[in-house]
This record gives sequence, structure tokens and C-alpha cells, in this order.
Amino acid sequence: MSRLKTILLVATWDLMKLRNQKVFVAMRLAWFTVQVLVFARAISYIVTRTVENYTGGVEYYYFYILGVYTTLLYSTSIARGYMVAEEFDDGIVEYHLSLPVKRSTLAIGRVLGGGVSTLIFTLPMMIIVYTVLRVRDPVIVAISLASALVFSAGVVSLVILLVFTIKSTDLTDIIVGAIDALLVRLSTVFYPLPVIASTGIAPYYVAATLNPISHMSDFLRILVFPEYYLVAPYGPLASILYLVGFSMGLLLLAIEFYEKKLETGGWR
Amino acid sequence: MRRKAVEIINFTKKFGDFTAVEDLNLDIYENEIFGLLGPNGSGKTTTLLTIATVYKPTSGDIYVYGHSVTREDYEVRKLVGIAFQEPKAMWIDKAIDLLTWHARIVGYPREEAKRVVREVMELLGLWEHRNKYFYQLSGGTRKKVELAKVLIQKPRIAILDEPTAQVDVLSKHALWDVIKKLRSEGTTVIIATNDMFEAERVCERIAIIYRGKLRALGTISELKDSVPKGDIIEIQVQEELRDREALRELEVFGRVSVNSDMITIYSDKAEEKVVDVIDALRKRGLQVKRIMVKEPSLDDVFTYLTGAKLRE
Ligand SMILES: Nc1ncnc2c1ncn2[C@@H]1O[C@H](COP(=O)(O)OP(=O)(O)OP(=O)(O)O)[C@@H](O)[C@H]1O
Ligand SMILES: [Mg+2]
Repeated sequence: MSRLKTILLVATWDLMKLRNQKVFVAMRLAWFTVQVLVFARAISYIVTRTVENYTGGVEYYYFYILGVYTTLLYSTSIARGYMVAEEFDDGIVEYHLSLPVKRSTLAIGRVLGGGVSTLIFTLPMMIIVYTVLRVRDPVIVAISLASALVFSAGVVSLVILLVFTIKSTDLTDIIVGAIDALLVRLSTVFYPLPVIASTGIAPYYVAATLNPISHMSDFLRILVFPEYYLVAPYGPLASILYLVGFSMGLLLLAIEFYEKKLETGGWR
Repeated sequence: MRRKAVEIINFTKKFGDFTAVEDLNLDIYENEIFGLLGPNGSGKTTTLLTIATVYKPTSGDIYVYGHSVTREDYEVRKLVGIAFQEPKAMWIDKAIDLLTWHARIVGYPREEAKRVVREVMELLGLWEHRNKYFYQLSGGTRKKVELAKVLIQKPRIAILDEPTAQVDVLSKHALWDVIKKLRSEGTTVIIATNDMFEAERVCERIAIIYRGKLRALGTISELKDSVPKGDIIEIQVQEELRDREALRELEVFGRVSVNSDMITIYSDKAEEKVVDVIDALRKRGLQVKRIMVKEPSLDDVFTYLTGAKLRE
């Protein structure tokens, strides 16, 4: 069997789980729809005009729902990566480690599986957002999906690394929760970067520019509304390179971890 | 000389400060059914998981057909398949999905995978449970799903960690036949068990490990012969033996223990002594209901070697 085929087969492990979580997907979707069609509108009524200087003329509502989509992409990636922690409790990791598969293949397959299942999970949300935004260009949709996969793979790698290093589901819960809350807040998902700059809080600004979530949401915004580029401090190329670097770096770390360190003993 | 399938050399495994297996040396030959026998916590699973490259040795090494588990783990995994002690699945998994995925990942093309999964599931009586979620399956059925993975894989070396624990007696016999058949098709089988009967029934050679150390190694009859005064005379008498004089008289034949109406004498050359024993009892006016000469069981071997009971 070729390496690529094995990677894809490993990835289907996560897809297999997705099939049994239809209710969960439906609930998330319902909540998301309400958020986009009700709450996002409400918020944009409050902030409308004034903010458009900061968004290059893009309506805040549009700015905001792309941010909401990104947070969802992010939290879903975390949830998919986090399933690995649950698997650890159930001993699935031992099972996977015993399979006739190279450890690096296993690592790539799991990360890819997490990424692709995140993509499938969040696809209906993307359809809603892009319908509202009237995006019809298939190239834009394809690039959006590809960048979402790259971003998601990075986040999944990060969570897997955390889970395996900490080796405790309880502690992982707390740490992932903290990172989750912090990263979303220190990003441009809800506040345009020029707004953050005008707060005058330097660490906030720096964190937001270094935050992959910022790059993900701003990349989508520039893709859909090129005029947003006018106010974005970084261009789409910089953002996508940053995301690729972020994901590749973490994936390599995850591979290294699977190859050298991963052992299932000592789990709490 | 038979070819070595697995060579365990000075293998030690520690979890933190705790030593689970200490300096284990063991050869397992090609195409035998090898038993790892020991009570709870003796280090069976730890050893098996290290052969399967799931754990790494703290020191020493294990070679599978010459491939080191520390340096050539992928080569080792291509030769080994394992059925875990605790069935590995999440509650939302369905048996058929798990097994199909397993078949694919161990190398079957799609259609071939479907065929072999069905064949093995039918063999183990799992087909009717194929669409149940894992949490809906009974403990024994889950164990069978676990064993099915190895039967699908048909690895060069099959590792079975307590394959029939939680399985009913009838199924146990069926599974033993399946395991023997697997061996007859060329697979080397390594079984961990704490079930004496299972060890006697299916294993050709046995290692007894206790508290992480190897205590004995050999065929069943070799192990039994290692117990001196290896025969056992069991006598059931009409009423409880209270006569201390009679007891003392019996002690010339060997060590005696009495448990209500059962008298057990540990002795050698038991066949020759039985008549004298019966005579001695008659003279004391004790009526013999039943008398039996036994070989020691593995239980007796174990007690002798470790001073402990296997089911402690
Ligand atoms: N991951 C681990 N972390 C810490 N200690 C462990 C771990 N796995 C096993 N041990 C300890 O190592 C010892 C040997 O365990 P092991 O599971 O190998 O025993 P076993 O012979 O398989 O027992 P059983 O018959 O109960 O399955 C036990 O004392 C156990 O508590
Ligand atoms: Mg065990």
C-alpha cells in the first residue's frame, strides 16, 4: 500500500466517527444559523457606520459573520483534536500504535482526518455565510476551503500535542479551555485590527497580529472583499504563508512526537 | 533448531519508579502456541504491549524475526497483530465499521475487506451484532470483536491478551479451536492468561511470570515434572478424619493435608503406594468412598514455584 493511501485510510478513522454524530452537527448548525441571522444582525445595527473606516468600507455585519465562521472553524478543530484525548482514555491510541503503519503516517493521517472532518462539519456553516455574502465564485470557495483545511490541521496538531504532553484529560480540559478563550479574544475575529491598534494596548495589538485566528479570518475577508486589504496590515499572501508555516510547524512537531516520544504509559 | 520468532533479551520495563517487568529473557519459537501465565499485575500485558511496539523497553530489547522493537518498530508491526485485553473502541463505534477499517488498514482492498470481515464475524458469531453500537455489546462479545481483528489480519505473530476472559464456557472451547486453527495456518500465537485450564488446553510452552520476573519456562509436562514428589493422592472418606494417629501413619507416604472428608497426600510413585494407603485407613476403621491419583495441575506448579496462589 502506498504511503498516501495509508494516510488517507488513517484519516477515515475520524470521518467514520463523524457519521455517528449527526445530531451534534445539526445542533451546532442550528445555533450557528441563529447567530448569523439574528445576533450578528443585532450587533451590526449597533456598530454600523462608524466602524467602516476601519474595515475599508466593508459592512460590519459581513466582517462579523466571517469572524463567527472562523471561530467556529477554530472551536471545531479543537473539538476534533480533543477527541484524541477521549480516545486516549479508551485506549484507542494503543490500538493505533499497534497497527502496521509508520508512526509518521499515523500522525499525518490523524491530523488530516481531524482537518477534513472539521471541514465537513463546518461546511454547512460556510454555505450559510457565503450565501449571505453572495459569494458565487468557485475559485474563492475552493481557496477558502483549502485555507480552512490548512488552519484546521494546525489547530488539530496543536491540540494533539497538548493532549499527549499533558497526558491527563482533566488538565487538558482546563488548558485547552484557557487557550481557547484567550486566543479568540486576542484576535481580529470580532474587532478589526485598526480598532485594536487604536486601543493603544501594545500587547493586545501584537498578540492579535501574531494570532493564526486573526490571519485566518482576515484572509477570508480579503478574499471575499478585496477592499478590506486597504486597512489590513498584512496582505493575503503574508497571511496564507503565516498559516501554512503555523500548520506545517505544528504538524512536524506532531510527527516528531509520534515517532520519538509517544507512549501510552502513565496516563492519568 | 526451531526458528526464533520472538527473542526477549534482558527486557526491563519501569513506569516511573515502579518496575513492572524485570530482566526478562525468553525465546518464542516460530509456529508454537506460547503461553504467558501469571496472576494479576505480574507484567503479562506490559510484555505483550512492548512486543507490539506500543510500549518502549526501559532497558534491554525485544527482537521479532530479528527486528528490534526499539530501532525497527515499523518492521515489527508488519509482523505482529494484537488483540488487547481491554477491547479498544469508543462507545459510538459499530463493530462492523471498526473491523472494516481494521481490514483496510492492515492491507485488504475494499471488496476483499468486506468479504473477510463478514467471514470472520460469522465465524465468531458476531454477524448478528454488526450494527450495534459498542456500548450495546456484552463484555464477551466485545472480546470477540477484539479477537476478530487478529483473525482478519492473519499476522505472522498473533498476540492475544486474555482472549477468552469474560467469554462463556461454550464459546471458550470454540475460540480455542479457532486459535489452534490460526496456528495450523502458520501463525505463531502468544497468549497471556491467568486461566490454568486455558493454558493446559491450548499452550505448548509456558512461561510463568510473577511480579515481573520469569519463574519457570517449559512445556506443560516439563513444568509438572519440576515439582518434586509430583503426584497427588486424593482420598474421600466416609466421615471427617479426626484421628491424629491415623494422620501420623499416613505421613510416611508423603506430606498430608486434610480438608473435612478430603485427604490429600503429596507423594511420588503414587501408583505403588495407593494400596498401602487404603490398607492403613482400613485398619483405622475408616471407610474409603473414593480414591484418585492425580498429576499436579499448573496451579500446583505455580504454588510450588512462587509460594503463592495464582488467583491471589
Ligand atoms: N501504564 C502504566 N503505568 C503505570 N503502571 C502500570 C502501567 N501499566 C501497568 N502498570 C503496572 O505494571 C504492573 C504489571 O501490569 P500488567 O498490566 O502488565 O499486568 P498483567 O500481568 O497483564 O495483569 P492482569 O492479569 O491483571 O492483566 C502492574 O502492577 C500495573 O499496575
Ligand atoms: Mg494484563
